[in-house]
Amino acid sequence: MRHVKWAVVVGLAALAVGAVGALQAQQLSGEYKIGVLEPLTGNLAAEGKRHLEGYEIVRDLINERGGVMGKKLVFAVGDAVDPTVAASEATRLATREGVKIITGTFSSTLCGAASEAASRQNVIYWETSCVDPRFSKRGLKNVFRTEIDGTGFGWYNVEFIAKHLAHRLGKKTSELRIAYLSEDSSYGQSVTESARQRAKQEFGMQEVAAEYYTFTTNDLTPVILKLRNANPDILHHIARNQDAILFWRQAREQNFEVKAVVHAGATGYGSPDFGKAFGNDGNGPFALLEPGPGVIIDKFRPEGQKIERAFRDAVKARTGLDSPAGGHQLAGGGLWLLKLVLDAAKSDDLDKFRAAVMAMDLPVGSAINGWGVKFDEAGQNSNARVQHYMLQWQGGQLVTVWPEEFTTNRAKWIPLGAWDQRK
Amino acid sequence: MHVIPQLLASTILLGGVYALIAVGLTLIFGVMRVVNFAHGEFLMLGMYLAFWAFTLLGLDPYVTLVLGLPLIFGGGWLSYRLVMRPVIHASHNVQVFTTVGLSIALQALALVLWSADSQFVRTSYYAVVVRFGGMALNLAQIAAFVVAVLFTAALFAFMRWSYTGKVMRATAQDRHAASLMGIDTGRVFALTWAVGITCVGAAGVLLAPIYPVYPSVGLQFVLIAYVAVVLGGLGDMVGALIASLVVAFVEVVGSYVIGTAWKEVLYLLLFIAILVIRPAGLFGQRGAEVIGT
Repeated sequence: MRHVKWAVVVGLAALAVGAVGALQAQQLSGEYKIGVLEPLTGNLAAEGKRHLEGYEIVRDLINERGGVMGKKLVFAVGDAVDPTVAASEATRLATREGVKIITGTFSSTLCGAASEAASRQNVIYWETSCVDPRFSKRGLKNVFRTEIDGTGFGWYNVEFIAKHLAHRLGKKTSELRIAYLSEDSSYGQSVTESARQRAKQEFGMQEVAAEYYTFTTNDLTPVILKLRNANPDILHHIARNQDAILFWRQAREQNFEVKAVVHAGATGYGSPDFGKAFGNDGNGPFALLEPGPGVIIDKFRPEGQKIERAFRDAVKARTGLDSPAGGHQLAGGGLWLLKLVLDAAKSDDLDKFRAAVMAMDLPVGSAINGWGVKFDEAGQNSNARVQHYMLQWQGGQLVTVWPEEFTTNRAKWIPLGAWDQRK
Repeated sequence: MHVIPQLLASTILLGGVYALIAVGLTLIFGVMRVVNFAHGEFLMLGMYLAFWAFTLLGLDPYVTLVLGLPLIFGGGWLSYRLVMRPVIHASHNVQVFTTVGLSIALQALALVLWSADSQFVRTSYYAVVVRFGGMALNLAQIAAFVVAVLFTAALFAFMRWSYTGKVMRATAQDRHAASLMGIDTGRVFALTWAVGITCVGAAGVLLAPIYPVYPSVGLQFVLIAYVAVVLGGLGDMVGALIASLVVAFVEVVGSYVIGTAWKEVLYLLLFIAILVIRPAGLFGQRGAEVIGT
């Protein structure tokens, strides 16, 4: 009798395994290839590779969850080292690899050229990271962006300064002295100019300096001397790469003290490199990003909680990181939204795809990063749906500190105080 | 007025960084008439040498500098034998393509071996700053400047007074006549290349505690080093040092007075102006680019 019971159990288990296998085989009938375009060599390679890693992690999650349109999602990868190569690689992916959708390219210096080339080939271009506002203002019907643009970054930064920092510093917003420093690409310019405009017009903040530089600069001491003379309360610094590290090191050497440093984006202060370079000596600056350690995932919607937890587990398994880096989140979050759209459209035909994009309406907290979806006619996801968070370097890592209702952590060192007092 | 001492200090320290890179470049050009477009990648390799020695063996970059010099020299010699020797008598176009190719290959190799991630050499003294007279000077940058001056002086003395230096100068002036005088010009070229690479490799080791290390880091410095070399006069070591300081001065003071966004415009305008007035550069010999070819 006992043998019979075991036989039944084993038989049922085998049937269950077989059923799951058959289901998967049925779900993943064939492959669906998209183009992935990132800078994998050159100056932008570190962040480009991080984005590619994010895509690959979410691609595997997608394939474990039925693929896209019932097919296994696969990539044809292109290396977009600069705008010229980005355009030629986009063309290659469309003509040689035959893809109907290209995603990428993270950098504002690349996305314009890549999407133009994709448009000429009548291929859908799904941008997950670049923030150049011009990207979605060219009237291209094939172009979509899941992340907010630079003006959105500037909007959020000023929101944080006005609604959080001002009262922590015991000042009215009109009393705040703010200095703007930025690398001079379209990313830095769009974030900075949008912040300048809102800070002045809506809150009457006092602008005491505005300075642009090339991100490959080797010395920022002269800028620091100028900023010291301007004596700002807050430094709004948009950095792109190693320039954040150079600035922080030289600011410390010059004993330049400011009450808060605010950045936006996954580069500069938002990159893991900043923490690697300084450890605890990097404590203090803020970076507007996707949710980091401390975020209360339970605040997301049930479906958002489920995929966010799976995403974080997958990132940890692949990279060892307790929390995904910004590049992982932007690429992964964007690719997940692409899956939702393709499954809804059931086609990569541009008209059907576009109709599905425009029809998609998901509240905040529905997807990876706690994002929601509501695209406008220009192909831009809504600022309000792509909830962003302010993270701060604390103890050598970026932790979520604002909005406070979404996090267990609190912002520290406001004002920043002496360099050796930020431990 | 109180910023003037700091602006001068920044000029000297930044000029020292550029001079370290420029001195090897100008040596190679002066003797071999080869513009080494892979110079920045040898700088990058020097930085990685310091990083790995620090990470794996716990060696301080200054210890690595001393211990690593023979290794860098050997690497330079090997790269000459494998890559440069076959094209040393070829046209300039072939040499340009060869060094550009070497540059791309070395960058790609670093990318494959060590990834694109930035690496950091965080020594115990990485944040040590020397303060006096209203100036703040990073200790590692002071060391880099001192070594730049020493390297320039040593190379200048070597070229002027040693027998080998005279042989190298003779080869630079007329390689065919030097050959007829019994000079083994092949060995002279190999030695010149290896010494030039040693200079830039050492520069890389010295810059590792100051700047992040990543595969394309050389590009950040080498363009300005080219400007300094041409400005100082092709093949002139002391000229390269002084021109490096001039470029750094224009960069630092221009950034402060006019704006950081203008600094490249300023030093390139100066570069063009000097070439219009003195085509051979500040200290160069007229026609240096064709002598000895």
